[in-house]
Formats: sequence, C-alpha cells, structure tokens
Amino acid sequence: MATEKTDVVIVGMGAAGGILAAELAKAGMRVIGLERGPRLATKDFAAQDELRYFQRQDLRPDPKRQPITWRPNQNTRATPLQILNYGNQAGGGTVHYGSVSWRFHADDFRVRSHTVGRYGASAIPEDSSLIDWPLSYADLEPYYDRAEYELGVSGKAGNLQGKKIEGGNVFEAPRQRDYPLPPLQVDQSGANFEAGTRKLGYHPFSTPRAIVSQPYNGRPGCSYCGFCQAFGCHIGAKSSILVTKLPEADATGNFKLITGAMCYRVNSDNSGRATGVSYYGPDRSDNTIEAELVILAPFIYDNVRLLLLSKTEKFPDGLANSSGQLGKHIMAHMMANVFVTFEDRYINNFMGPSAQKHTIDDFNADNFDQSGLGFIRGAQISISTPNLEGGPIAFSTIAPPPGTPRWGAAYRDFFARYYARHGVMVAQTENLPYPDQTIDLDPEVRDAWGLPAPRMTYDWRRPNELARVAFMQKKMEEIGRAMGAPHIWRAEFASGLPGAHHEGGTRMGSNPRESVVNRYSQSWDIPNLFLMGSSTFPTMTGFNPTLTIQALAYLTADAIVNRYRKNPGPLV
Amino acid sequence: MSKHDESRRKFLVGAAVGAGAVATGGLPADALAQAQAAAAVPAAATTREHEHAAVGALRAFFNQDDAATIEAFAERLMPGAPGKPGARDANVINYIDLALAGAYADQQDFYRRGLAALDQYCRVIYNKSFVELFPAQQDEVITALEAGKAAGFTYPSAAAFFNTMRTHTIEGMFADPVYGGNKDFAGWRLVGFPGAQPMFTTADMQSREAFTRLPMAGLQAKAAR
Repeated sequence: MATEKTDVVIVGMGAAGGILAAELAKAGMRVIGLERGPRLATKDFAAQDELRYFQRQDLRPDPKRQPITWRPNQNTRATPLQILNYGNQAGGGTVHYGSVSWRFHADDFRVRSHTVGRYGASAIPEDSSLIDWPLSYADLEPYYDRAEYELGVSGKAGNLQGKKIEGGNVFEAPRQRDYPLPPLQVDQSGANFEAGTRKLGYHPFSTPRAIVSQPYNGRPGCSYCGFCQAFGCHIGAKSSILVTKLPEADATGNFKLITGAMCYRVNSDNSGRATGVSYYGPDRSDNTIEAELVILAPFIYDNVRLLLLSKTEKFPDGLANSSGQLGKHIMAHMMANVFVTFEDRYINNFMGPSAQKHTIDDFNADNFDQSGLGFIRGAQISISTPNLEGGPIAFSTIAPPPGTPRWGAAYRDFFARYYARHGVMVAQTENLPYPDQTIDLDPEVRDAWGLPAPRMTYDWRRPNELARVAFMQKKMEEIGRAMGAPHIWRAEFASGLPGAHHEGGTRMGSNPRESVVNRYSQSWDIPNLFLMGSSTFPTMTGFNPTLTIQALAYLTADAIVNRYRKNPGPLV
Repeated sequence: MSKHDESRRKFLVGAAVGAGAVATGGLPADALAQAQAAAAVPAAATTREHEHAAVGALRAFFNQDDAATIEAFAERLMPGAPGKPGARDANVINYIDLALAGAYADQQDFYRRGLAALDQYCRVIYNKSFVELFPAQQDEVITALEAGKAAGFTYPSAAAFFNTMRTHTIEGMFADPVYGGNKDFAGWRLVGFPGAQPMFTTADMQSREAFTRLPMAGLQAKAAR
C-alpha cells in the first residue's frame, strides 16, 4: 500500500481532466492524474479495424469488467448495458469520439426562464425538473474560444459578433472570432443533405468538429479515411486530449500520470474537507493519494458512484450530497433515425469523418415556434452514418426497409445494392431532466474490482419526448424526399433505453439546496472538491456535450489558478 | 492415496500408453495421415485413420458435425450466388470457429447448447439433421428461430441463437480477413467497401460514382483486382 502526497489529484484523464491537468500544472501546481485505462499513442491506431473498434468496442469500457446496469423504471430488474459510450484510456472519450464540437445557444443556458417567457409555465411538463444554468453563454464564450483554438476545431462562423453569415450556423450565439480552421470538406452525404435542406428553406452547414482540416500545432490535416467515431485517429488529426493537452501537461514537469488506477473512494475528514483518494493499482494494490485539492473527472456514472461509495457519518447519503440531488436528473440523447437509399447516385458513406457530418439547426433549441406542438425544446438534425460509423458491419446494424428481411438472398441483395448508396439522418433530441431518472448503486451486480455497478433508472418515452421524436421523424422524411431519395424509412424504437451522451447526476445550480455544485463545478459542501464533466449539466441541449465540458474545465482551471489558490474556499 | 490422486495416476498411465503408441508409429497422427495421403495409400485404413479426421478438416473449436451445421446455417443467412459471394465463399465458418477459440471463448457453451437444441428441433420436425434439410426447409427452421417460435430452446433462446448467428455471420463476411473470414475480400467485394483506405481525395469525396480505385486494402493484405 503506497501513499503519495500532491497538491492536486485528478480522477479521469478525459475531456475535462486532461485540460485541468495541463492548466494547473502549467500554473506550477503538482498534479497527479489517475486513469483507469492505459495511455495509448497515435501509432496504436494504425489499424483501421471495424471489428475491433466498432463491433468489439476496443476503446470503450468492457461491459463485463465494468458493468453499468439499466432498468426502465423502479419496478423492473436492471441488466447490464451492452455498449458503454464513454472512454477507457488516457484522453477518455475524446480518443474515440466523433469530435462534434458545439457551443450551446444562449437560450440553452436559461431553458426554464426562456420557456416560461415565450410559452408560459404550463408548457413545461409538470414532472420535469427543468432549471436554468447558473452561468450564461456570455460567461462561457471566452472559454469556448479558448477550447476551439487550443484544441483545434474546424468550422465556419454563422454569427460573428452579431453579424449572421450564410454557410455557417446562423442560429449560433454570437462569437467573438471565427473558428481557427476552415470547415472539413463535404462528402456526398453532406452534399445531398445540403441540397435537400436548402430546397426546403433551411440553413445547412458543415458540422463543427475537433478534427483539424489543415495542419495545426504540428499535427497533419484530416485525410478523410472515414474511421473516426469508435476509432483512434491514425494520423493524429483528431484533436483528442491525448494529442493536445496531455503533452502540454507532460512538458511542465509537474504532472504525473498513473494508469491502470481504479479510484474507489474520496477520503474526507470530520471537518468536511476532502483529504485525497484511494485507488486500486493494476496489480490490485490498495493505494492512497493525499491532496490539497481533489478533482473528479470520470464519466457521469463514476462521479455519482464515487460520491455514493465515499459516504461518511457527516455525509450519510453520499459525499457532497447535503442537497439530496446526487444521482438525479439523468438525461440522454435520443437518436431518432431516418434512412434513405438512392438508385441514381452513390453516396460512399465510408468516406469522410464519420459522425454527424452536415447539420441543420433550424429545429433545435427554441429556434422554431413550438406553440401547439405538444413538446418543448428541439433536436439537432444531421446527416450521418449508421450508428455513427461508415463500414459494412455498422450498416448491418440498421433495420432494412419494411418488407426486406434481415437475412437471406433478399437481404444480401439489399446490402450489396445500397451499402454504397445509403444515407442516415439523425435527430439528436434535447430530452428534459426528470428527478426520477437516476443513477444509484446496483444491489446485485458488481464490477471486476468488487464495487457495486452504477445502475441507471431511465426511460425516455415521456409525452414531451415522444411528441418531439414524432415531429423530427416527419421533418427528416421531408428532407429525404427533398434530397430526391426514392426509398425513405424510419427506425422503430423497441425500448426506452438511454441513447448517447449521458448527462446529469451532479447538477450545477445557483441554490446549494437544489444542486450539487456551483457554476465552477465546485461542491457546495466541500470547497476543495470539484466534480467535472457532463454530470454537472442541468439541461442537455440537442448538441453534443464535449466542447461545453471542455469550456467549463477551462473556466474552472482559471478560477482555481487565479482565485482559489490565493484564497481556498467557496468560489461563490 | 486419495481418490483424486488415484484418478490422476490412471490418467498418467493412459497418457504414457498413448505416447508409446505414437512412438511406435514413429510419427504424430497428423503427420502420419499426411504421409499416407501423399503416398496415396488406399483404403487399407489403420485404426488410427478412423479415429482422426482428414488433415485440413479440423478446427480450433468446432467438431466436424457442428462446423458443417454452422457453415450451412451461415450460408442461408448470407447465401452465395454467381457474382455474389456468400458466407461459404467468405469462409465465415473459419471466422466463427477462430473467434470461439479466442475472443469469444465465453460463448462456447452458448454455441454448444444452441447447436444441440437446433439439432433436436430439426429431428423432431423433419426427422433429419439441419445439414440434411433442403435449403427451403433450412430457411423454415431459421424463420422459426428468428421469431422465437422454435420449441426446445432454453439457454440460449431460439431468438438469441439466431441473433448471435446473424451477428457473427456478418462479422465473418465483413471483418478484416486477418480474423479468418472475408476470404479474398469476398464480403467487401459484394458490397463495394474498399477496406482500410488511409485517405480519400477531394475528387473521391465529390464523386457520385462507385469507388473502384484499387487496391482494396486490409490489415495484412492488399487486393490488386
């Protein structure tokens, strides 16, 4: 059993943890980073292997070793999720993500007050725990800018200091300057989507992505090989934390990374101060780190689980949980799909960055009038690939059109004819927070370390969410017709299974009695404990979360370096 | 001597006898069979030849009967036709066999039990094994499995066995050839996937035509045609 002392310990070296490690180490603080998985390198990703990375999820947690269980409601028994959509190595999910990098809209930060103002309080479902964020878009804008420039994001501005620019996202909140890199090139799925949505009067644009379109900071521009989502980038063009912030942290000499480290408890004393963490090493050794500052930055399951496992007499319901809000208000994106196939053209969807390629923002957030629609808040509609990846195994996971079987000669012929002629539209919906959507400890299932598995209780099929999905499916079918696709069909939903981008569980707020952390992701209860990542999101938006996770990490790093270090204590 | 030690002693004696038998023959079984085949020794078969499968017919996990069943099942899921390579052409059976001996070793019992239930079901309905059925009958069986209507399956359920067979057949068709299937890029040729291309050009991305530039690339092999 080893004990080490340091200024800062950070659990999880992903989107948030990597930024804090680099920024705090650059400011002269001694930082130890704990990472459950290995530290890989660009040379490890030479193999563009769909079986290994898409089908067998090699860069994601193994559900057998690290189960996350799920049940739709409290009356059913939870079973392990089969695919865990987060990271399991240094760099976290940014190693294998599709790199879609959004700034949230201004109204995304004040959804409750904005909705009440435009549609009245009765528009909000009675059982939703919808709240405003404790900070505004303007507060976060400088940190979005910093993340885009330091990491490397490609895109085209649509709102430069209030001036709308065609070809960018005209619905975006005002930005002070353009992206550091021009948008990624458009493939045929993007070109068809562009033509179809323009015909309908919408405002399509190349999705902003943390993939460098040109050489940047010593890394080469994208080669459009098509292996992005679920894969590590074989040339380092993806702006993952692995190739951006971790080298910065290394260069300071103040940073030590411990891989294969499974953190199982945050230690605290009777004064309610965090004293460090305990973790199991790769050899199952039991180790302790004593630190002045404890930062938790794993995925949402482990943020919640660690605090529940770290309960004390002072915090009998879980550390930092005097509010009773820990583990509540869980959200996940519903990914509604409409598929199209063509007879007169090839799409070759295996080319180009593989996640949401081209987007319209016309039906997201409050960018359209929701009066009388039966729901509030919209969805990001994009053209993409089957399950965000463009190889033939991914194509096999989509349900063929009605009337076509899933096997046999007819299926073979469908596959052979349309694999290179298909497009996939996806509506990524802004599902609302509800207090009974939760993460707690599974009473039966344990992980490879003997710790109780995090258990999700979640079902997206609520009236507001069902009405929104039905609306978006119709919109996507219209776009399919405008694209000139002769065959258009939608995916059916079998269950209320959570989709992508799980968020919430340690929500941020302006009231300590109703939230777990303040606007700096600092625990209200324990000022030397910070909880980072999408677990802090009070609402989820229709956008992918990573750039906002990163901007919040920069905001927190600034607050720690410039304020907390001089005067340790509550920042609010 | 404990009971455990007693059985261990019997095993060691038996092993020694076996080793002696091989030593008498002078060659291990496979080499012996190979030598006999090369010399075109006619049916004057030794006992040993009856006990061992022909060289090249053994697999890492499946026995010969089970391999034949899986191969026939996979072929109905992705049937071959002239100009359209199927599961047999892609050597899907080899992919599944190697996977069960390695990455999917935890599914061995799933397959054993599923195959036993499949055999039982076919014998009850048709009084034949799966491989002895006409293709149309095999399709009836698979349809019943897919719908969860085939009796006699417990673990795995009929639908679970179908779904796993479908998934693994797809993997054997389309995974990189390094895993033992997708022989000569048969699956990729069927659907027009060019494999692991390190880059696409602007012109490639702007084309509305089929992408046919060679070589088709895998992890350890390229196809020039």
